[in-house]
Amino acid sequence: MCFKWVAAEGELRVDPVTRAVDASRARRKISDYDRNTIEAARVVAGSMGGELVGLTFGGPDARTGLKDALSRGVDRAVHVVADEGARADGHVTAHVLAAQVRRLDDVDLVLCTEGASDTYAHETGPRLGELLGWPVVTNVRELTVEGRTLRAVRVVGVDLETVECDLPALVTVVPEVAPAPIPGLRSVLGAAKKPSEQVPVADLGLPAAEVTARTTVTSFLGYVAARRRVVLADGDAQDKVDALVAGLAQDGVL
Amino acid sequence: MTGIYVFSEDPRLAAELVTTAAALADEVHVVCLGADAARTLTATGATSVVVLEAAGPGTVGARRPEAYVAALAGLVRDRRADLLAVGATVSGWEIAARVAALLDCALVSEASVITALPDGAWQAERVMYAGGAVQTETWSGTAVVTVAAGRAVAAAVPGSTSPVEVIAVDVDTRVRVVSRTTRVRAGVDLASAARVVCVGMGLAEPGDLALAGDLADALDAEVACTRPVAEDRGLLPTERYIGISGAHVHPDLYVGLGVSGQVQHTVGFRDAKVVVGINTSPTAPLFAVCDYAVVGDAHEIVPLLAAAVRARR
Repeated sequence: MCFKWVAAEGELRVDPVTRAVDASRARRKISDYDRNTIEAARVVAGSMGGELVGLTFGGPDARTGLKDALSRGVDRAVHVVADEGARADGHVTAHVLAAQVRRLDDVDLVLCTEGASDTYAHETGPRLGELLGWPVVTNVRELTVEGRTLRAVRVVGVDLETVECDLPALVTVVPEVAPAPIPGLRSVLGAAKKPSEQVPVADLGLPAAEVTARTTVTSFLGYVAARRRVVLADGDAQDKVDALVAGLAQDGVL
Repeated sequence: MTGIYVFSEDPRLAAELVTTAAALADEVHVVCLGADAARTLTATGATSVVVLEAAGPGTVGARRPEAYVAALAGLVRDRRADLLAVGATVSGWEIAARVAALLDCALVSEASVITALPDGAWQAERVMYAGGAVQTETWSGTAVVTVAAGRAVAAAVPGSTSPVEVIAVDVDTRVRVVSRTTRVRAGVDLASAARVVCVGMGLAEPGDLALAGDLADALDAEVACTRPVAEDRGLLPTERYIGISGAHVHPDLYVGLGVSGQVQHTVGFRDAKVVVGINTSPTAPLFAVCDYAVVGDAHEIVPLLAAAVRARR
């Protein structure tokens, strides 16, 4: 399974005037929904009698995420280390992950999350599947493997679509695929004994075109909601309700 | 270069994409699946309508839009399209990313403010961190973008008839549909609700739902919730949760009851006209994105609010 090491979005600071984003003080974490994906991958790997490899591509600081992934149920962690300061878009990330998946032996199934908590682009999983030449099944909330057949239930608009395909396959999952239990002390301690590996991206031997972003970021600005923020905190409950109803009536929404 | 190609398995969204693309290029070709979609789309004023038809009758899997990824990529490559715009649906997200992989080109997900720059390059904005930030990206050469529904009015040019071209293509049958069922009960359509009452974890005891339901009844609103209320507590079905991975709503009025205001949730109602938060904590993050921040206990406020709304009828 693939996971992403991201800045905690709640800790980004946005300058209300310039809208500049300060991420330097934000903690880093495994993208929220990837925690559900690890659990789903742990269960399905167990049912297949296979090993679960957690794979991430990111800067040197992503190393901290390996232990978290291991304590959540990954058997072995691989961190492809991006060059410091290099920017990766979906094109680069998918090529790097595909190259690393090919270096692992006998991969039957790759799970990605439908979106990461920073970009939520629905991009890396299907791109990776296409580069590997595998069938792709996205937006999955239930999956099982029997023999060489994957069966998955996809959320497609208001429908649930049950599909099958042969392995190897790439699946992207939504958070309801599995809960994301907080690792217990025993799992955290056990993680230290599990193997992990760091691979410099240069070791993958990819051509320059595959590790060069296809887009250039020209601006990155915080979003400042244009809301009135009228605070109704004074008086008793009835006073607050009266003030609210008067305001809503004036706004024309009652 | 031959203009912009647009694709969606949903003809209405495809017609919206025609409007978006027509503002950016002289030539707009709309790609669709099936004769019914083609009939709708010939009246959009598009330069042409291209129908992808599975080669061979009764081809298994031909009804899945995702089965046409290679065909669509081939079309974009052969016709040297400037840009492929795909409707941002579950199928569209997958199709866009896979086409971009086959073309080895850029993808901008849920692009807005797409601009053709004077030097032949392109620019678009996308939201990051669940709406916490906006990133502007530029690129040169062919690229794929996805565009959300509701960004443009559906193109309709009465009396116009675009030429239709039917192309027989190979389809990808590796993923087989076993069954498809509708999961939403009739009448639940959060996306088009004019008013929404949203239950957060601060009001997520089973007895509290009646409170939210009564306010929704008074306001003629739909009841919605945050993700943990649906997924962790199971108090409401998952199709009722608002957020980045759930429903996106565009109501005139959003009322959040005991909603803390995590960005993954608030992005889902960003387009609401008026936002009301009711929370005991004056520092709830929701209050930063509210028009009215009512500091107080929802158990106390909500019945009074429901009564006051009913009294105005």
